[in-house]
Amino acid sequence: MRPMLALLQQITQEELRHEILHTWETAKTKWVIPIEVFGVDLSINKIVWFLFIGAAVTFLLLFIGSRILKDRPGAYQVIVEEIYGFGRNHLGGQMGEEGKKWFPYTLTLFVFILVLNLMGLIPGSYPVTSNITFTITLALITFLIVQQQGIARNGVVKYFKSWAPTDVPARPVLYPFMWIVHLIGEFAKPLTLGVRLYANMLAGSLVIYVFLSLILYFGVFTAFISVPAAIIFYAFKLFIAVLQAYIFAILTQVYIELAMFADESH
Amino acid sequence: MGTVFDIGNLGLMFWQLITFAILLLLLYKFVYPPIRDQIIKRQRSIEQAIDEAEQTRAEARRLLEEYRQQIAEARGEARQILEEARRQGEAQRERTLREAREEGERIIQRAREEIERERAQALSEIRREVADMVIMASEQVVRKSLEREDHERLIEEALRELDVELKEKEVTR
Repeated sequence: MRPMLALLQQITQEELRHEILHTWETAKTKWVIPIEVFGVDLSINKIVWFLFIGAAVTFLLLFIGSRILKDRPGAYQVIVEEIYGFGRNHLGGQMGEEGKKWFPYTLTLFVFILVLNLMGLIPGSYPVTSNITFTITLALITFLIVQQQGIARNGVVKYFKSWAPTDVPARPVLYPFMWIVHLIGEFAKPLTLGVRLYANMLAGSLVIYVFLSLILYFGVFTAFISVPAAIIFYAFKLFIAVLQAYIFAILTQVYIELAMFADESH
Repeated sequence: MGTVFDIGNLGLMFWQLITFAILLLLLYKFVYPPIRDQIIKRQRSIEQAIDEAEQTRAEARRLLEEYRQQIAEARGEARQILEEARRQGEAQRERTLREAREEGERIIQRAREEIERERAQALSEIRREVADMVIMASEQVVRKSLEREDHERLIEEALRELDVELKEKEVTR
């Protein structure tokens, strides 16, 4: 109803803002199954539903591919094998062969984020990767794995010692300073990882909505500019969807391997 | 701002951790192993195929070498045979020629001997004839007591007769 009315009369800026952001504003109150555990709201809403759908699509995409394996592969099998090969050859082993054992994890991240990114491009869906809780949570998992791997492979002392170079001049002063800088960097890693994905995906969606909302604000003739621009940004966002999924996965892999081989890299 | 910057959404975080954990578990358990096995299997079969192809190529190269050698041998043998035949032909020709020459010489020799014999025979016959004539002429001289011119005439006659007879002999031969 609202878009129809908007075509007839100019809308207020408040209404325009709602039109642009309605995907994010309404997601929490749509398709809700209320659940509350110990006072914590664990309700399943549109965000969670799309999280489930994304996980299911990711699983089915790869699962079906793994069930129809033949010696003479069809197109679908080739795609699935290529995805797997991409993980094994281009994600894993950035710094050492041993790092390859983590590629199934980063490959899962890649496919999962890619599926969620692409699903966010479907009109009426919710782009889960443009929710900062989601991206930061993934980044935190990465953070935990990184620290766990660093400590497990190098030992606690060696690992934390390797955070700053020991052969610096004025060691008593510089070493702690550099160590603290590295500590900050260590926490900045998951933060940037999460925010990068979130901001890219949110901005992509917002640009498209803003261009389309201009039609509501300035009248129907704006469509001649807005629609082509939105289409161009839509196509661009397809590219960004793949790129950001790749960046998230490869950085996760690199962080893990940096921690694994922390002692050797200094 | 809270709408697009939805930080601290515990519900989402909870469900996300569960979903992601289940997704990882399922993928690790049911998806990655068969794909990995399939890829390893294909890799192995490709390696095997390459090995086989290499073996076949080596075999082919060996056979080719063998055939080449055989052809070279056959060619050498053929040349040898040809050489032999030519030499034999040459020798045969030489021998035939020599035999023919010898035969000719023999024939000529025989003819020469024959001629020699004939000539000797003819000479001895003439000698006998002349002797007879001399005897006859002597008889006539004795018998008639000839004059001087008669004497000369007789000798003339006798010589003429001898000539005629010689000629006749020549013709009859």
